[in-house]
Amino acid sequence: MKTYIIQRLAIALLTLLGMSMVIFVLLRLAPGDIVDILFATAGYISPSEKQAIMKELGIDRPYVIQYLDWLHQIVTGDLGKSYRYDLPAWEVIRPLVPVTLELAALSMIFAVLLGVPAGVVSAVRQDTTLDYALRVFSLAGLAMPSFWLGMVIILGLVTWFAWIPPLTYVAPTKNLKLHAIQFLLPALAVGYRSSALIMRITRSSLLEVMREDYIRTAWAKGQTGRIVIWRHALKNALLPVVTVIGIEFAFLIGGLVVTETVFNLPGVARFLVQAILWRDYPVVQNLVMFTAIVVILSNLIVDTLYGVLDPRVRYGG
Amino acid sequence: MMRFGALPLLGVLTLVLSISTLATPAQSQTPKSGGTLNIMLREDLSQGFAIHESSTISTVFPAAPCFNNLVQFDPAKATESTDTIVGDLAEKWSWQDNYRNLVFFLRKNVKWHDGKPFSSKDVKFTFDMLREGPDVPAKLRINPRKDWYANVEAVEAPDANTVVFRLKRPQPSLLSMLASGYTPIYAAHIPPASYRTTCVGTGPFKVKEWRKGEYLDYVKNPDYFVKGRPYLDGLHYVVIVERGTRTAALQAGQLDVAFPGETTKAAAEQLKKAVPQLVVTPVGTAVTDNIIMNSKKPPFDNPKVRLAVSYAIDRKGLIQAVHQGAGVPGAAMAPRPYGVWGMPEKELLALPGYGKPADMKARARKLLAEAGVTPQRPLRVEMVTRAIAVYVDMASFVINELKQVGIDATLKQIETAQWHAMATRGDYQIGANLTGLGVDDPDANLYENFACGSPRNYSFYCDEHVTKMIDQQSQELDPKRRLGIVVTIQKKLEEDAARPVLDHRIDYFTFWPHVKGLVPHHNIYNFARMQDVWSDK
Repeated sequence: MKTYIIQRLAIALLTLLGMSMVIFVLLRLAPGDIVDILFATAGYISPSEKQAIMKELGIDRPYVIQYLDWLHQIVTGDLGKSYRYDLPAWEVIRPLVPVTLELAALSMIFAVLLGVPAGVVSAVRQDTTLDYALRVFSLAGLAMPSFWLGMVIILGLVTWFAWIPPLTYVAPTKNLKLHAIQFLLPALAVGYRSSALIMRITRSSLLEVMREDYIRTAWAKGQTGRIVIWRHALKNALLPVVTVIGIEFAFLIGGLVVTETVFNLPGVARFLVQAILWRDYPVVQNLVMFTAIVVILSNLIVDTLYGVLDPRVRYGG
Repeated sequence: MMRFGALPLLGVLTLVLSISTLATPAQSQTPKSGGTLNIMLREDLSQGFAIHESSTISTVFPAAPCFNNLVQFDPAKATESTDTIVGDLAEKWSWQDNYRNLVFFLRKNVKWHDGKPFSSKDVKFTFDMLREGPDVPAKLRINPRKDWYANVEAVEAPDANTVVFRLKRPQPSLLSMLASGYTPIYAAHIPPASYRTTCVGTGPFKVKEWRKGEYLDYVKNPDYFVKGRPYLDGLHYVVIVERGTRTAALQAGQLDVAFPGETTKAAAEQLKKAVPQLVVTPVGTAVTDNIIMNSKKPPFDNPKVRLAVSYAIDRKGLIQAVHQGAGVPGAAMAPRPYGVWGMPEKELLALPGYGKPADMKARARKLLAEAGVTPQRPLRVEMVTRAIAVYVDMASFVINELKQVGIDATLKQIETAQWHAMATRGDYQIGANLTGLGVDDPDANLYENFACGSPRNYSFYCDEHVTKMIDQQSQELDPKRRLGIVVTIQKKLEEDAARPVLDHRIDYFTFWPHVKGLVPHHNIYNFARMQDVWSDK
């Protein structure tokens, strides 16, 4: 297992290196740069002044030098300086990270708590009214984009209760109740979609396992339904569910853009869009790298969980 | 002829008057001290507090409470003119030597937010930096309003409380430009670049915290030079990028004041329906919809084709279809009551594009035929616009109008990052554009957008006679005569289709009734100081 994790980490490093190249190149391929944006806010362009600012920001240097400089900054823990804010990029990024991680984690918890039990009930009560109702519920979740649901929640709250959750970040240490309210609604909006996917995977996986011989044997031994389903069937049905959870979590980190925007949460995703619009390369590059790291780590955790869930799964010979 | 424009204008005026009437009792109330206002921002401060390096309301509006000007437009009067200019850091001022020298007598005992004393040195520093004179003490990274001070020969500080602007020729407009929200005084002892991250001003509020992309907090400046001001303990600006969420926040009372230029007529009606007590004030925005045509490239190097475009676009139709009536017709300068330099309605209605739409389109077709455009040989052009909804909506309407006269235009959306570079270089044929004016003043507008060689003269229109008239009005000391010249210039610009103006946009500025002393101006850039605003909560 240890060897396997080391191998995976080594591959992860190579993946990140590849990612860094892709991020760097794609950003430079996008039309315009920070200097064009600065001039856009001033309403004109002066080629000579533009050149001077490009020199000041170091973006007049050859791309290879800029790329190597960025890699050096990552290795030394210095993420460079935000072009837009004239501040160290880390200082700009640092407050955003916990917000996005918390929202993604809460959304995932909500999705699992709703999706897995609903999937189990749906499988156990296959082709009953309850099963159909749950399947419609999950289909609706897949069909409704989370940003749309978020907007509907906001508009519903303001229309019926003349109230919406706080729109500036409330730290948990300052007011836990408000903090919880602020995060729960977007987590519900995002988690609903993920729960629908988890429910469908749980249902289909469990239906397959329930037809296995060992389940029939368990029933024949006279074990209770609870033991058969939760201990024997579900544990074996969980492998694909865990895979989906891992993929969904990774997807959430990058996919919270609109939800963070609608609920005005100061997270990575919302900020990333603004940074891209401003061509704030140091901030964008490092935020995308952060997302890539989270994706890779979540995949690694999923792989490790396979071994825990199914002792037959062994890695690294 | 009178049918055009009269009704919307009358409607807006009625609304203004009714709201003014309603506001009278509130204004007679005794102001209370204390409280914090929650104010909407639609994006983060784009250049921090560096107003001199920016030309966007997203900088001026939230940064203004930190600063003072030499003079300002009276915060209590919605329509701005030279007659409404009042002192700010300058207690009084005087034109001397037949308008060749403008002398300011500064207030004493004014302190910067860091405790250092304010003096005439700071004023000299600011304007030497802006005009980039030979003895420039510091350089701005970007200096978008350098041209405003092209006529300033020298700025002198004979003593700590006196500043003299020596002009190359008389220029009464200078005072208006000094009163604009774009003209705050910077501290000489602070590097100008530092204003991108923090603010040391003399203004009524001091920066407490700026959480990037999230909020900006101010606290009351206890050492403010106006006794008893500001009334508020603080200001809390909240960045909300999503428009629906911004409106919901205002409706739910999480925000007290909307962002200038933000509330459309439809949104205002929806808000009023949900919360009838909200105060909605229709005001001019100092932003025009206009058409830029590259006069250096075919087919718009042909004046007949340019004029045909101007004739083809139904201004009234555009105001109704694109803005749901939230606009007023006007040429280069805003019409009354939104400005004081606009064309009289009678003359305006005689201009291309302002008559009966069918007649105007027939005229456009005739002009195009004279230029060789026929149904067999239609004119195919590419229309550019910024990839922002307010631009695209307007461009789509214009394309439909042009199609009706035989111009087949395809829309090309340009990202903000490329828009100004493209327009400045002239890499386009025809474009749908928005232009904001920092101050309702002919010099600020005409030199910037219509003078030969100006970087923001995107159409590359250049007429020696017009340039002469622009210079002439700039130094005309008699206001009536000056207005006459300005009207003639506007008429000529429209007849030449230099940059046809389609309408002047109206904002339905909204705030809660407990917000008192906030009078939105007919120019979004000039009423953000918040010095006299108080909360009756």
